[in-house]
Parts: sequence; C-alpha cells; structure tokens
Amino acid sequence: MNILFEAHDLRKCYGSITALHLPSFVMEKGETVVLTGRNGSGKSTLLRLLAFLEKPTSGVLRYAGSQTEPRREITLLLQEPYLMKASVFWNVTLGLRLRGVDRKLAHNGYMESMLAVGFTDPESMASRGPGELSGGEKQRIALASRLILSPSVLLLDEPTSNVDAASEKAILNAVRSLRPRGVSVVCATHDRDVPAALEAREIGIVSEPV
Amino acid sequence: MGYFSEGMSKALALLLNMDDATFSAIQATLSSTSCALLVAATLGLPLGFLLGYTTFPGKKFLRLLSDTLLAFPTVLIGLIVYVFITYRGPLGQFGLLFTLPGMVIGQSILALPIVISWTAQAVENLDRRCRETLLTLGASPSQLALHTIREIRYDLGMVCVTAFGRVVTEVGVAMMLGGNIRYSTRTMTTAISLETSKGEFAQGIALGLVLLLIAFLVNFLLAWFSDTRDEHEHSF
Repeated sequence: MNILFEAHDLRKCYGSITALHLPSFVMEKGETVVLTGRNGSGKSTLLRLLAFLEKPTSGVLRYAGSQTEPRREITLLLQEPYLMKASVFWNVTLGLRLRGVDRKLAHNGYMESMLAVGFTDPESMASRGPGELSGGEKQRIALASRLILSPSVLLLDEPTSNVDAASEKAILNAVRSLRPRGVSVVCATHDRDVPAALEAREIGIVSEPV
Repeated sequence: MGYFSEGMSKALALLLNMDDATFSAIQATLSSTSCALLVAATLGLPLGFLLGYTTFPGKKFLRLLSDTLLAFPTVLIGLIVYVFITYRGPLGQFGLLFTLPGMVIGQSILALPIVISWTAQAVENLDRRCRETLLTLGASPSQLALHTIREIRYDLGMVCVTAFGRVVTEVGVAMMLGGNIRYSTRTMTTAISLETSKGEFAQGIALGLVLLLIAFLVNFLLAWFSDTRDEHEHSF
C-alpha cells in the first residue's frame, strides 16, 4: 500500500478545548477523501494539521512515511479564501512567482488553471481586483491559484459552501479532473452530494470529547 | 473685525508677492518636517513591523511603551532634547541647538512612536488568512514577511501621512530647539505664535492659510490611501 498520510492518536487542543481527537487516519496516494461531520467536529482542524499549518498537540502524523514537513507539495484552500490586494492575474500566479517562475510560464499556467475552474475568458478577468468579484468567482480564483502549482496533495475546506450552483459545478469538475493526474485530494464538506460527485471515500470525523 | 479683514488682505499680498520671511518659514517647516519624517519612517517602519509581526518576551511591554509615547507632550520632548544638545550637554559639541538639525532630532522623536505603533497595529490587524494563504502557496519566511508588507502598503502610507501631519503642526519642539530664529529656524507654527503675540496678524494669517492648505493635502492623501485600501477589501 502506498500511504500518503498516516495518523495515530492525533490530538489538537486550543487551551483546555480539544478541537480534534482522531484515533486513526490512513490515506493512500492518489486517493480522494471527503471528510464529513458536524460543525466543530474537527474537519477544518484536521485539514490545517495535514497542511502542516499547525502542529498536533500530541500523536503522530506522517506524510509519505516521514514526519518532516513537505513544503510546497501540499496546498490548502481555506473555507473563506483570502485574495491579496492585487489583480486576479497576480493572485492566481502568486504561488508560481514565489517559486521563481518567469512571467511567460506564469501566463500559460494562468490560462490553464483559470480555464480548469470554469472561466471561459481568463484574459478579461486578469486585471480585475478582488473588490470586483463575486463570492463564487473568488472561490474559483483561489482554487485556480492552487491548481496552477500542480500540487501532490490538494486540501479543500468547504469549497462549495457560499457559492452559486454554477460555481459549485465548476469547482467539483476541476477537483474531479485531478484524479487521473494522481493528485491526492482531501475535502471537508457539509454538502451530502459532494462525496458522490467526487467519487470519493467518505470519512466521518467525530472528535471524542475529553 | 476690521483688523481681521485687513490682516487677511495683507496676508494674501504677502503670499502673492512671495514675501521672503513668509516663504522662509514655509521652507524651514517643510524641510525640517520632511527630514524628521524620513528619519522616523526609516527607523519606525521596520521596528513597528517587527513589533507587530514577531512574538518575543517583553513584546507587550514594548507595545504599551510605544502606545504611551503617542501622548508624549511636545514641550517635554523639546526639554529632553534641549538638555542633550545644549552647549553644556553631552551633545553640545555638535552645535545643534537652535539649528534645523536640532529641530529634526526632536521632531523625529515626536514622529517615531506614531510610526512604530501604527505600523505594528496595521500588521496586527491584517487578516490572519493572509499569512495562511501565503504559507499554503509555499512562501518562505522572507517571502512571507515581504508579501505581508505588500498587503499593508496602503496602511503604511497612512502611517507616514499621519506622522507628517502631527509634526508639521507642532509648536513646542520647533520653538524650544529651533529658537524661532528669523530666516533660519522660524517655522510656520512658531511664526504664527510670534506674530500673533506682537499683534501682527497678516503674516500669521498668511502662514495659517498655507498650514491649512497642507492640512488639506495631508487629509486628501489620507482619504486616498483609505479609499484605495477599501477598494481592495475582499472579505466574503
């Protein structure tokens, strides 16, 4: 078995509050997993741990058999994405420029990733600012800024909440298209249709009260 | 009110005729204030950023100290610097008292807490998702810091404009450290104070009009920075 994430007795506490207690979690490379559970069950916390944005309070979390942080292989789309105070083009290509990619290659990546999230005319969007975008457009642009990086692992926190039906469809299509490319996906959601739409393994998160 | 209208017409004549004493005061004000802002921004922006961005023991105390210094009376700053640069003081050998550089030292001290505190505040007020977004896009620690600065660039502009506005309108430091010497260290505010005490309203009004114009420009810049920042707000 080609294990991507492996966690044992994973616990994350904020002060006296236990946000997550996961006895066991195993995920294979290339797999698509959907995390379901009630509000406050720890889905977002687990995603933040998997993204190595935070460290667990106790327990073991391994990525590809190692406990070292895999910088730039994993990316997380936040539940309420943040767009920088700049143009759409700047936002989508930011990750590439952080990696030193030149503008021409970044432009090609911009076109591909914007088309992947359902924008039919990316050029017309390029110079728009965050204030000129709808919630669904922001969500898709934030997703495009992750897809452009060709990540090994894509983590999504409620990607279809607060978006219109057309944006939801575009987002799910984009995520589904990652499977043939071997990208591993972990998606937290309340939407009951998402596991089936992504043809994903569903894992219910129920943090045990301590 | 006759003396007021007479003063106003004389004031306009001074401005239109480019009166030497009036324009000398304007020049002294703008040069000392600009230098003070340059010093305060050079020291204060990095210090304020570090104060807001990093966590270290004693940070809360430094933040409190910086905030307290925002209310530092200008005459007290003048007094402290005076003690240091007076001819018998530890820096007396440099002959800074009653010179523009001496005024710049005091005005820089006045502006520094404003720049430090407000810069730290801007960093602390930045949406925490900005940091997380940069990290999830693969930013290194230095890239994280640079892009954080980029995100608060309009706030930093507002910080500098606010500090400039505070320094350009102060009297205490300029009077105590500059000595209000005509054609040398006489600024707009000290000139207004002096001319009014002499009952000569014309030059006071003329300088007051210029000061009002500067205040308007400062506020115009503040509004522009604020509007530009708000245009880029994008929370859900």
